Amino acid sequence: MLRFALTRILMALPTLLIVAVSVFVLIRLIPGDPAQLMLGDLADPASLADLRARLGLDKSLPVQFGIWFGNLLQGDLGQSISSQQAVLPLILQRFWISAQIVLVAVFLACLVAVPAGVIAAWRQNSTLDLGLVGLATLLLSIPTFWLGLLLLLFFGLKLEWLPVVGYVSISEDATRGILYLVMPIMTLFLHEIGVLLRMARASTLEVLRLDYITHARAKGLSEGAVLWRHAFKNAFGPTWTLIGLVLGNLLGGIAVVETVFTIPGLGRLLVDSIFARDYPVIQGCLLFVAFTYVIVNLVIDLCYPIFDPRVTAQ
Amino acid sequence: MNRILASAFALALSAGAVQAQTLTAVLNADMRSSNPGVNRDDNTDMIVLHVVEGLVGYDEGGAVGPLLAEKVDISQDGKTYTFTLRKGVKFHNGAELTSADALWSWNRYMDPKTDWRCLGDLDGRNGLKVVSATAPDANTFVMELNAPNALFLDTLARTDCGGTAIIHKDSVKADGSWDKPIGTGPFTFGEWKRGQSVQLLAYSGYASPKGDKPDGMLGSKRPLVKEVRFMVIPDAATVKAGLMSGSLDIASVPASDAVELKAHPRLNVITVTNPVRHGLIMQTRDPVLKNVKLRQAIAASIDFPELVANVTDNLTKPNNSPIYTTSKYFGEVEKQGFKYDPARAKKLLQEAGYKGEKIVILANKRSTVPSFNTAVIAQQMMQAVGINAEIEVLEWATQLDRYNKGNFQMESFSYSARIDPALGFEQISGPKDKQPRKVWEDPEALALIDKSMVVSDPAERQKIFDELHKRFIEQVPSIFTHNDIDIVAHSKRASGVKPWMSKLLLWEVSVAN
Repeated sequence: MLRFALTRILMALPTLLIVAVSVFVLIRLIPGDPAQLMLGDLADPASLADLRARLGLDKSLPVQFGIWFGNLLQGDLGQSISSQQAVLPLILQRFWISAQIVLVAVFLACLVAVPAGVIAAWRQNSTLDLGLVGLATLLLSIPTFWLGLLLLLFFGLKLEWLPVVGYVSISEDATRGILYLVMPIMTLFLHEIGVLLRMARASTLEVLRLDYITHARAKGLSEGAVLWRHAFKNAFGPTWTLIGLVLGNLLGGIAVVETVFTIPGLGRLLVDSIFARDYPVIQGCLLFVAFTYVIVNLVIDLCYPIFDPRVTAQ
Repeated sequence: MNRILASAFALALSAGAVQAQTLTAVLNADMRSSNPGVNRDDNTDMIVLHVVEGLVGYDEGGAVGPLLAEKVDISQDGKTYTFTLRKGVKFHNGAELTSADALWSWNRYMDPKTDWRCLGDLDGRNGLKVVSATAPDANTFVMELNAPNALFLDTLARTDCGGTAIIHKDSVKADGSWDKPIGTGPFTFGEWKRGQSVQLLAYSGYASPKGDKPDGMLGSKRPLVKEVRFMVIPDAATVKAGLMSGSLDIASVPASDAVELKAHPRLNVITVTNPVRHGLIMQTRDPVLKNVKLRQAIAASIDFPELVANVTDNLTKPNNSPIYTTSKYFGEVEKQGFKYDPARAKKLLQEAGYKGEKIVILANKRSTVPSFNTAVIAQQMMQAVGINAEIEVLEWATQLDRYNKGNFQMESFSYSARIDPALGFEQISGPKDKQPRKVWEDPEALALIDKSMVVSDPAERQKIFDELHKRFIEQVPSIFTHNDIDIVAHSKRASGVKPWMSKLLLWEVSVAN
């Protein structure tokens, strides 16, 4: 298994290299640069040239890339142009904030959506099935920013149960920290329920139509045993893959949710950096997101044998 | 569940008790640094100027007066400025302010390694040069210029220069790198949680300038709350919810929210005009727009009262002058702007030989400026007289890049605040060969602007600005629609709130328990 994991990580290196080069080039193809944004409408050519020189933007692209890539190989993602903080600690600090929300929301969504999907498939075309599918479609259709605003309006403004703006780290004050995270987690949780429930239902339905399920029933097994022992374990694979994709996607940035709830997470850092043309942070964030995707999917792959012994790490 | 809710409620109540000493304000984006006039933007200036002060500052009307100086004496030849420092002023670390601190701060600003935003305006590159700075005694600081300059004190007071603040040596680390501002302002710099909040704490040893009320950066500046917390909240809807829930005390809000927030029982809304100018800038070297009659036709096609009423929700009136309405130089001449006259616009189009060539207006959708809405309404008005106007929406950095390169026909654009009108004119004028972003390059106008920077007599300057205004309206190198308005919503428990020049100044603001 260790060999498999190492192979996968090595296989990911070309992907990460392509991401690094693409991000570096693409972000510089967009008009505008950090020096212009820092000086705004007051940018006389001399000041602009001075600032570009100080930021190293006057060097040719290959030279800039060489410097950045050389530092990257030494584990140094550079320094933010806007805040002048080291990029890697900045990303890790913001990532931890996003990860708390994403991991809890996806975990809770799995707890609810997967059993609900299996039950909906088991009772296909019943009122329960139609209700669950309808609910999933509704939750999937509501944009997260709107859902977030609705929650703010209801729990923050009408009921005044939860704080509307701000963020307190859990390590700083656990109770307040949790209160600030409730609504962002709830927003993602509700949205992901829709995604996961539909997948769990669809994959269970496919399995329930197979001959061995009929055979299991013919043997006289209880419906519970059929569902859990024979249907669920075989049907969970696609849902598990989807969970990996969802996690990778969300860990890479929940900028909209973070913006609505003023959470200083990785997504907001990335969006702010793009608007500020903060090249080192953009490059660092996107590379980190790609790396996270690779790792999450590796973990997902390594977990397959737990659910389906036919799949091996080989 | 009930226990959780009860805990949350108790927590909210306890938080309320703490908040009585705390004023919570909003930043739409985090500050860039705490270093005055270095790596800055408007938010940075606003916060830093609560912590540091310079020798001079702007009053509410935009005139410069002494701040850390007790008085400023100018020599007969207009080249030597002698600043006598106020006595009893102490830095946040308890050290007394002396002219040695002024000299140390000045030398630091003039060191290119500091990256001071205003170095180029004072080292001779743009004409004005401080040839010497000395501290003959502990209470006197003397600066000598290469030539008389009417804008020298304005430059020192400029907010984007960080007010040329005098800071204590301990603001920098032993290796010369920046640490945090140790100034003389009404608040000390507290905790900065990047991307989240900036905390300022009342400075109990603050020596306020003379005055019984706040007056821009001058006047009474007492800190009346123990703590000010600026929270970084980029989303306007979240700010609105925060204000309505009572989580936030003060925030700038968009015009579209002003009416609703004004009606809220917990809130007050204040509107004040500031020097930021919104408008439609034009590329006078464009093959189509180089025709002055066509530019005049565009100006005549726009119903300014209607446009401004719509983009500001009736909160302000039009102003076509490059001079902002609250400036002391905004007089009867400056009130004479463009006249909406569709028939004349059509006639001018004919005289210009316009054959329906496309004119593209660049705009952006930033929530802090009326760029897109202005473009949409202007486009409709221009089309109504037969001008083939189109809108291209760009992200701000891209639009700014096009602006800096002069690569546009028209842009719905906003110019940042310039308090002295000479600087306001200079901001838009200059030779395009050297600075493609400039929109007005009439040589006679440029000569007048240069003159306005040297002449210090207000009556003489007024004449120059009147002449510049008339030429601007006649030549239409750009169209200003209106000045920006600070729309500030604040909790009724906060009193003394008075925005100034797009900045929330939180001294002399108190909070009821």
